[in-house]
Amino acid sequence: MTSKNESGTHGAILEDNAADDATDKDRAAVELRGAGKSYGNVRALHGVNLKVYPSQVTCVLGDNGAGKSTLIKIISGLHQHTEGDFLVDNRPVRFSTPREALDKGIATVYQDLATVALMPVWRNFFLGSEMTKGPWPVRRLDIERMKKTADHELREMGILLDDLEQPIGTLSGGQRQCVAIARAVYFGARVLILDEPTAALGVKQSGVVLKYIAAARDRGLGVIFITHNPHHAYMVGDHFSVLRLGTMELSAARDQITLEELTNHMAGGSELAALKHELAQVRGVDVEGLPEEDALQVGAPQTH
Amino acid sequence: MTQHAEPAVETPPAPGPKQSDGRTSQRPLALRLLARPEVGVFLGAAAVYVFFLIAAPPVREGSAMSTVLYQSSTIGIMALPVALLMIGGEFDLSAGVAVVTSALTASMLAYQLTLNVWAGVIVALIVSLAIGFFNGWMVVRTGLPSFLVTLGTFLILQGVNLAVTKLVTTNVATDDISAMDGFDQAKKIFASTFEVGGVTVKITVVYWLVFAALATWVLLRTKYGNWIFAVGGNKESARAVGVPVTFTKISLFMLVGFGAWFVGMHQLFTFNTVQSGEGVGQELIYIAAAVIGGCLLTGGYGSAIGPVFGAFMFGMVNQGIVFAGWNPDWFKAFLGVMLLGAVLINLWVRQSATRR
Amino acid sequence: MDRSSRFRSRRVVPVVAVAAAAALTLAGCSSSSGGKKAEESGSGASAGKANTPRMTVALVTHQAPGDTFWDIVRKGAEAAAAKDNIKLVYSADPNAGNQANLVQNAIDQKVDGIAITLAKPGAMKDVVSKAKAANIPVVGLNSGVSDWQKLGLMEFFGQDETVAGEALGKRLNEAGAKNTACVIQEQGNIGLTQRCDGVKKTFKGKTQTLFVNGSDMPSVKSTITAKLSQDKSIDYVVALGAPFALTAAQSVSESGSKAKIATFDLNKELTGAIDKGTIQFAVDQQPYLQGYLAVDSLWLYKNNGNYSGGGEQPVLTGPAFVDKTNVDKVAQFAAKGTR
Repeated sequence: MTSKNESGTHGAILEDNAADDATDKDRAAVELRGAGKSYGNVRALHGVNLKVYPSQVTCVLGDNGAGKSTLIKIISGLHQHTEGDFLVDNRPVRFSTPREALDKGIATVYQDLATVALMPVWRNFFLGSEMTKGPWPVRRLDIERMKKTADHELREMGILLDDLEQPIGTLSGGQRQCVAIARAVYFGARVLILDEPTAALGVKQSGVVLKYIAAARDRGLGVIFITHNPHHAYMVGDHFSVLRLGTMELSAARDQITLEELTNHMAGGSELAALKHELAQVRGVDVEGLPEEDALQVGAPQTH
Repeated sequence: MTQHAEPAVETPPAPGPKQSDGRTSQRPLALRLLARPEVGVFLGAAAVYVFFLIAAPPVREGSAMSTVLYQSSTIGIMALPVALLMIGGEFDLSAGVAVVTSALTASMLAYQLTLNVWAGVIVALIVSLAIGFFNGWMVVRTGLPSFLVTLGTFLILQGVNLAVTKLVTTNVATDDISAMDGFDQAKKIFASTFEVGGVTVKITVVYWLVFAALATWVLLRTKYGNWIFAVGGNKESARAVGVPVTFTKISLFMLVGFGAWFVGMHQLFTFNTVQSGEGVGQELIYIAAAVIGGCLLTGGYGSAIGPVFGAFMFGMVNQGIVFAGWNPDWFKAFLGVMLLGAVLINLWVRQSATRR
Repeated sequence: MDRSSRFRSRRVVPVVAVAAAAALTLAGCSSSSGGKKAEESGSGASAGKANTPRMTVALVTHQAPGDTFWDIVRKGAEAAAAKDNIKLVYSADPNAGNQANLVQNAIDQKVDGIAITLAKPGAMKDVVSKAKAANIPVVGLNSGVSDWQKLGLMEFFGQDETVAGEALGKRLNEAGAKNTACVIQEQGNIGLTQRCDGVKKTFKGKTQTLFVNGSDMPSVKSTITAKLSQDKSIDYVVALGAPFALTAAQSVSESGSKAKIATFDLNKELTGAIDKGTIQFAVDQQPYLQGYLAVDSLWLYKNNGNYSGGGEQPVLTGPAFVDKTNVDKVAQFAAKGTR
């Protein structure tokens, strides 16, 4: 079933029945209604509708340049939306600093990880939320507690570090990713945003990350999982939104879409059909195994 | 401690006694210590000291150390906030002339309006903090490199020092304020001396060490110190996790302002008059002491103890050359060679410690 | 940003109130001694003004910013300018090439007369010829007593730093000194180097040069103290500027040395020190006079074609020695910052 939403965007917006299926609350922890962001005369994002429920994984997919980063920056408080509404617990908000988002329980793991390479692991873990002890004039860092906590949380993630004093820049990409996720899970009271966490990881570590996305969901967090890999998304997602050229092209719950449909939608159906034609004309390219043309279209006809 | 629900799939075995992943072995404590930047510069400073003990007989006297420490302390007190600022990722090229601005302000205000010198001292503090605030605010607001912004402030202050002094006193130096109310009190606080085992020690040495201890504690043991490292290491990451970047940067510049005020007051109450053209070139010496002390020029790494040894090294070389009676024409060249030598020792020590 | 404007409006009122309270408090903290009130209200000498047509004179020296000596030269020049209805254009640069450019600048401005110092005569040769080709009279002051004639300057006032140094060296011989430290506050400064070289030429004892960082007074003090510890046989410290002499006095008393102090140039505090005996004597090249005569001479030339020295001899302004016997005569003028 297709419908045109209020902002008149293209694409297949399937009726969202997630609200009726919610096991815990029927109130979205975070909601975007027709939200958008313009930088000067560049419209990076427009007409975005997104609902994030506790104990659910909402996947946001899209290729590079689709506007995923902008979307996260709005929710995490780095930027402010210029159109539409942004609601937390059904109340409109406008974060002017990431600190405000963190205080509302929205923790983010950025694509570039937001770590400081030269600082030790435990300092990075508690950056911005350091544990302190002692009365005011001599309030100092509770280093022992922080090191112990960081060590424990990292072990829970499967990272064993001999020395928490080593600069985080000396860890491998995957380890750094897990530290960042452990940090966000530890501090993220209600909503956890993960920006392409598996993009630079090997298979095993991607598996660990996906496990913990599921674990976070089971713990009651609402997880926003941003990725351009539909397979990873389908493994843990409860709801899928596809962004394309700054707006939503697809919004469907898990029971309304299959992995293949999702993949094909993400791959940009019509372009692949045209590509298949061209490839067929080039000698020596076998187009037998490629998807059929009609399989490359999903939902509403593309009217560009 | 947060509760952790059992994930749906298998997790790694619950951690028992501390396990390691077996790839790194614990390096001996001695080598780990040597790899710390403070230790490297300490060894460099010790090497310089020993060198001059041998090459310059007068250094062996207690009074010689008093002279060296005095010179080191007036540089060292400024090197501390400059180092903290450098760890925080910024430079302040106006630090040298800001010292003179502070002294000029206090002196001229007290003298021209015939006030108690303490009034001048307090206004000078406000002015110095305001200059620091201006530097920080400009850097944060415009996003320009602090090198450029403070270069501008440096030139402005240099010109203002000269022109305003000339305007107000009609001379290039301020008038003598030693006869004014409050002078003796202030001198006791900012410029007194005391005896230790027959050797006269200036009070700035004590202040220097106290400030160094304070700076180290703040840097390593407080939230604010963590913010300094973060803001210098990766400003955007720090902002993204909620560190107040603007506040940190501006307050660091204001700390430099405080240091400038303190050293300016010391100079005023030691020499009674202030030459308006002074201070030019000192900012590079403060930065040198900080860098020798292990602070990365690009920010995010360093300590407050390192610059203490860096300032000591500078003072030792400076006076040691005189104590040794070397040909004065080569003075600057000797200074440069010794400083480079000390830095290389520092580097070599650190590299060999980390390589093993 | 929303937050900052809210921040500003809420905080402005208390900040203004605190500032006002602070200002009032400060006004009440007056000093019962010293300060400007105690200073006598005698200002610089002033006279009437000539009724000759206004002319412009450029004075281009090699002053480094903040230098006391040159500041007094400038004051003398300004006094003459005020008297002679002259617009004085003062510029200076310690770098000889830049100083030559400043002279060219004056030529471009078509001034009526140029007064320059010849710290590096070779660098000035070209611009002096250009000035003469443009019919602008050029006089010299302070440095270049052996070069002014060759370069084609009309007159010369003052004497070399070298001559002043030689005079001081002779005076040290009279005082029976055997070992002096000549303290240079800026390595590479020509005038300062010439002074010490002059001393070395005539002084029969040992002359040692000591370079100090004139930009940092505590460093100056430490370095002189160190030198006095290194060579305990130093019996005279020669400073090249009044503030440095006063700092040297502190070094001497701190290091327990028996050395005496002599210096070039005066200032307000120095005359008091000479009177007290902390400083033995000072060489006074009468910088005020140098500046005054240089500017006045151009007025005389313009209005009556006169030139001092007849094109042959320089006009000497010093050196005059100021010591305990005559310091009281000079003190009141030093207090005004003109000696």
